[in-house]
Amino acid sequence: MMTAVLEKQATKDNIILGMKKAMSEYDIAALTKKEGKVLFDYIDDVNKIELEYTPTVLSPKKFFFPQEEVILEYTMEGKVQAKINYRKMVLFGVRPCDITGIQILDEAFAESNGDPNYLTKRENSVIIGIDCNSVCDENAFCYKVNSQYPDGGFDIMLHDLGNSYAMTIATDKGETFAEQYFDSGKVDSEAMEEFLRVKEHAFVKAGGPFEELENLPEIFAENEHHPIWESEAERCLSCGSCIMVCPTCYCFDVIDELALSMKIGDRLRRWDACMLRSFAEVAGGENFREEVKNRVKHRINRKFNFLMKKHGKSVCVGCGRCVRSCLADISPVTIVEALTKTSKQMRLAEKNNELYLPVKAFIRKIVQFTEKEKFFELELENGKSLNHQPGQFILLSIFGIGEAAISISSPPSFGNRFDIVVRAVGDVTNKLHTLEEGDFVFIRGPFGHGFDESIQRKMEGKHILFIAGGIGYVPLRSLINFTLKQKEDYGRISILYGCKSPEDRMYKDELDYISTIGGNVTLLETVDTADKSWLKNTGVITSLIPMVKFHPENTLAVVCGPPVMYKFVIKTLNDQGLSNENIYVSLERRMKCGVGKCGHCQLDDIYVCQEGPVFRFSDIEDKEEAL
Amino acid sequence: MSKPKVAFFDFTSCEGCQLSILNLETELLELLDIVDIVEFREAMSEKSDTFDIAVIEGSYSRDSDLGRLKEIRETAGVVVALGACAHIGGLNALRNSQQREDLLKKVYPDHPDWYETNEKALPISAAIKVDAVVPGCPVDVKEFVHVVKNLVLGKDPGLPTYPVCVECKLNENICVYELGKTCLGPVVRAGCNAVCTSNGGVCIGCRGLIPNPNLNSQKDIMQKYGLDIQRIIDSVNLFMTENAREVQ
Repeated sequence: MMTAVLEKQATKDNIILGMKKAMSEYDIAALTKKEGKVLFDYIDDVNKIELEYTPTVLSPKKFFFPQEEVILEYTMEGKVQAKINYRKMVLFGVRPCDITGIQILDEAFAESNGDPNYLTKRENSVIIGIDCNSVCDENAFCYKVNSQYPDGGFDIMLHDLGNSYAMTIATDKGETFAEQYFDSGKVDSEAMEEFLRVKEHAFVKAGGPFEELENLPEIFAENEHHPIWESEAERCLSCGSCIMVCPTCYCFDVIDELALSMKIGDRLRRWDACMLRSFAEVAGGENFREEVKNRVKHRINRKFNFLMKKHGKSVCVGCGRCVRSCLADISPVTIVEALTKTSKQMRLAEKNNELYLPVKAFIRKIVQFTEKEKFFELELENGKSLNHQPGQFILLSIFGIGEAAISISSPPSFGNRFDIVVRAVGDVTNKLHTLEEGDFVFIRGPFGHGFDESIQRKMEGKHILFIAGGIGYVPLRSLINFTLKQKEDYGRISILYGCKSPEDRMYKDELDYISTIGGNVTLLETVDTADKSWLKNTGVITSLIPMVKFHPENTLAVVCGPPVMYKFVIKTLNDQGLSNENIYVSLERRMKCGVGKCGHCQLDDIYVCQEGPVFRFSDIEDKEEAL
Repeated sequence: MSKPKVAFFDFTSCEGCQLSILNLETELLELLDIVDIVEFREAMSEKSDTFDIAVIEGSYSRDSDLGRLKEIRETAGVVVALGACAHIGGLNALRNSQQREDLLKKVYPDHPDWYETNEKALPISAAIKVDAVVPGCPVDVKEFVHVVKNLVLGKDPGLPTYPVCVECKLNENICVYELGKTCLGPVVRAGCNAVCTSNGGVCIGCRGLIPNPNLNSQKDIMQKYGLDIQRIIDSVNLFMTENAREVQ
């Protein structure tokens, strides 16, 4: 708690002398040297205090929340008592970043169920900080999260004015301590102003705060599927070092230690880390945060999103310890800046006045595929490439009638032509079917999250199992062609395709061609009913799945078809051992705007038009409306 | 309730882990309050046909080991693998990447045919079911006491699934990579209280890999810190021969 702020001044010698006097009443912990390293530790001699700062491996939170502490003592006969170990202490020489860290821990341990072990230690401590007026090393980024100006978490802050320290006294506790131990006088306000000016200059020069510091919770929420999570996780060793050294991580494990006598024991708490694989594993073996990506995401979100919302400021204090300790060079700074950049681009696109403005495209070729389905090749009038990913869609307009969401069926290309296949089923599509080659339509897009690079990387070397039903072949066709073009990059490619009848098959010529490729490419087809001229399988699509031999741990399935198909296909895949992490689906929804606004496509908190239509099934399996 | 009977057995090993247990002294006496030691070749001449907890040191490296291991397994309620040799094959497994015939000729040039040995030295879990493990070369005797205590309590003694880095940081060590050395700590199972890195050494992996180690990233890091591929393979090979291939 901040009371009235007092400013005083004392010589450095006087401060050290005061600390020596205080030793009769307090244990003193300070920055000191021990076995060749600089760390915060209890000292028995004030001459061992290091006044110049060198970054330490652990932060001083360990004095209030030790690596391991006993919280209960018990006997096997059933006697039990709570245990709180504390010392009356002064923590001397804490730097602003760590003070901000302590301030955050004070709030975290005090809220709702106040933690007696932490709070008792804090109540019995006096914190004397030493202010920084420069950045301690190239890994520190306190200035990016504004932790260099703590507004609490200390009793006294010392500002270096050369031979003396100016003191900011923030609490009654600090005032009493200063009165008792420091022989202080009036502050040299000119020198103090100079100190603050130098400080401000140093931190502004270092780069100043994150561009959108205040908006980080929102930015993190927007970027749940940002590719950086995947790329950082790839390097992450899950070694837990980042958490161990963090001044604001406070998760712990609880362990019973019985003495060898088997009669008495302790219950301990020990630092634990959400970056460790076992952290969210329950007794049954289920792990609620098994993927490294999700653990990296959780750790960083706790600092800049989940807990930032609660504490009203960044819970990362920018001390740089995790960056220094990460052998894989994973840094919160890189992640925050990448997400900020993406969000800015997203907002720029949203502000774009042309968000709803379609561009003209000419119909270059029409092929009647089936009774109800036609193929259209479109060419953008502006000469630009559509620049789409497999699995994305466009909104196709015919003025006077309206807009309709249509999948892109051609693979990514640099040219300005692309293909769609459209069933005449609504107003726009019925009208489209009456148009002829040379006529024009308007389009917007491409929209949505398709089979992006991170999914494509995951597919490499795997057995890819495409499962399409009816017109569901069309949204998958872009990806199918993309993989067939470089088929040697995949273990196997198996395409399973089911229709009502042979007449309902899409891209008939192409299917005939695929069936002749051979090598690692297999095409299996089935129809519900057919006459004798149909030589392939009859029966439902799921009957094809057992005909393909696949190793579940090395296989990715990609599924698209009518809504009724998914449940049965996914169940059959699961029965064959394929987990939902290895199943991708492309979902159909009603879409009006395509840009995450109109709300028609919403699946709980997800806009299918933005985060979908392609989903890893494990990401949405719990949503009731998903299938 | 009578005290559980504990018997010690050794296979291919230096028997140093058992020696470490003998060095326990005071705690060993306390341990005798909760268990009876009925067979321990290094400490006593008595033997026993019955025992509840079998503590096995050494790797399974000869055909003739199999029968003895199975016999121990059938008699014991609980089997504990003691030390790296029993747990992961240990230093014995270093030879697994070489041909047995060549090695026999190299080590015993006069009488290669006198010695019985399998193609590979394997952890005892390759022959029999193992219920608990005390990893390390040598074992940490505190961990041994912890395992025995928990077995007597009827609690799974478990093993840390996190790497040595965690304990190294808890001990406030400066990372050995910062000191210009390389270390397998990020992928090796903790539980040793980072004893090597906390005392001027580096982790050479005697406790084996953690589950799901990121060997790719470990390799990249060791390369970044100046090791060539052969030296990386060699360092993994020392205790984790079977995994050395994965970093190539």
